[in-house]
Amino acid sequence: MTRNDKLLLHALADRELDAAAALSLEERIAAEPDLAAEYARILALKGAVKRTDKPVPSQQFTARIAALATPEAPPRPRIMNWQALAASLLVTAFLSSTATYYLASGGGNAIEQTIADSHRRSLLAASPTDIASSDRHTVRPWFEAKLGLSPPTIDLAEAGFPLVGGRVEVIGGKPEPVLVYRRRQHLITLAAIPLAPGEANTPAHTKVVEGYNMVQWDQSGFGYWAVSDLDAPELKTFVDDLRSK
Amino acid sequence: MTDARAAERFREIVLPHLADALALAKWLTGSAHDAEDVVQEACIRALKAIDSYQGRGARAWLLSIVRNTCFTWLAKNRPDSANDQAEFEDAEADQPSPEAALIEKAERAAIEAAIQSLPRPFIEVLVLRDINEMSYKEIASMLSIPIGTVMSRLARARALLADDLRRSLR
Repeated sequence: MTRNDKLLLHALADRELDAAAALSLEERIAAEPDLAAEYARILALKGAVKRTDKPVPSQQFTARIAALATPEAPPRPRIMNWQALAASLLVTAFLSSTATYYLASGGGNAIEQTIADSHRRSLLAASPTDIASSDRHTVRPWFEAKLGLSPPTIDLAEAGFPLVGGRVEVIGGKPEPVLVYRRRQHLITLAAIPLAPGEANTPAHTKVVEGYNMVQWDQSGFGYWAVSDLDAPELKTFVDDLRSK
Repeated sequence: MTDARAAERFREIVLPHLADALALAKWLTGSAHDAEDVVQEACIRALKAIDSYQGRGARAWLLSIVRNTCFTWLAKNRPDSANDQAEFEDAEADQPSPEAALIEKAERAAIEAAIQSLPRPFIEVLVLRDINEMSYKEIASMLSIPIGTVMSRLARARALLADDLRRSLR
């Protein structure tokens, strides 16, 4: 095998040869065992390199890079609709990273801030969920496998709030289940944090955190936070429907 | 170009290629954590230079900035690792290479250690080709070397990798 043969074998494995050159080399590989062994080795090596982990840019990292290009924060609208978001996803990516620090107002406590951020993640992420399913019988076992527990996964499609899926979010330093529902083009992020025995949150209440409407209540051993860019009456409808199930 | 237009271009050009940028930086710096710092620094440079981007080969353009940033970073943070450019061309390995079947059994950690132990000029062609899946032509233009050099470097990189794996598999 000449040095040239070797280079051509690499080029064939890398699909860099044109059809004519590939054909004649493939005929030689079929006839010459040492070429065949070298070719198999190259393919195995390529496969080995591909098996290594390729980094996936985290949400935060991508937002941080997107933010580099935007020196000043435009004021964030209090209510964003989905189309506007789709049109300016990257502006929003900026907001999520920077505005969080500058505009963190609206009187939420740390948990509420985190959940409002979590809702923003629903809006920003390519997929708002880790498990995308409108089938509650898919989402529930997924949570149980991930966290060892699952909040009730109630589908409200008939009421106009189809389940989009679920994901795990770190809230107050612990991984907690988060469900995502849809209302027309709007999303509702529903965090469900299990209550310790005897633990209770403040009585059910509604407030605005980071420009999003938020409803909090306790039910069946979970503290719930529903947050959305929906207006307050519609979000209340969602909560009422959910609580009545 | 207005700031807003430059910002928009930056996002169109840069954001889709962050994974490839991180992969290159990770292998060149040897650390996924440092890779984020280096890529962020590279993106700041890319933003400043956005006017010079010619409108073709966004990925190669960004990756060449990432690569330069890596080398600056390495010179500053790993000054003792700069001898990589020396004497890496073309001596043939004298040991027979392991068989394909053996390579296929190699553990991921062994593969990663073997790649990391290569001289940097080999790491970069290997990563650009087999992880980022760039063509010989793209790699040649990004590294400003002839295609023939890309080919011989890649062949040599894989031969060294096979050699390394043979040692770790024994």
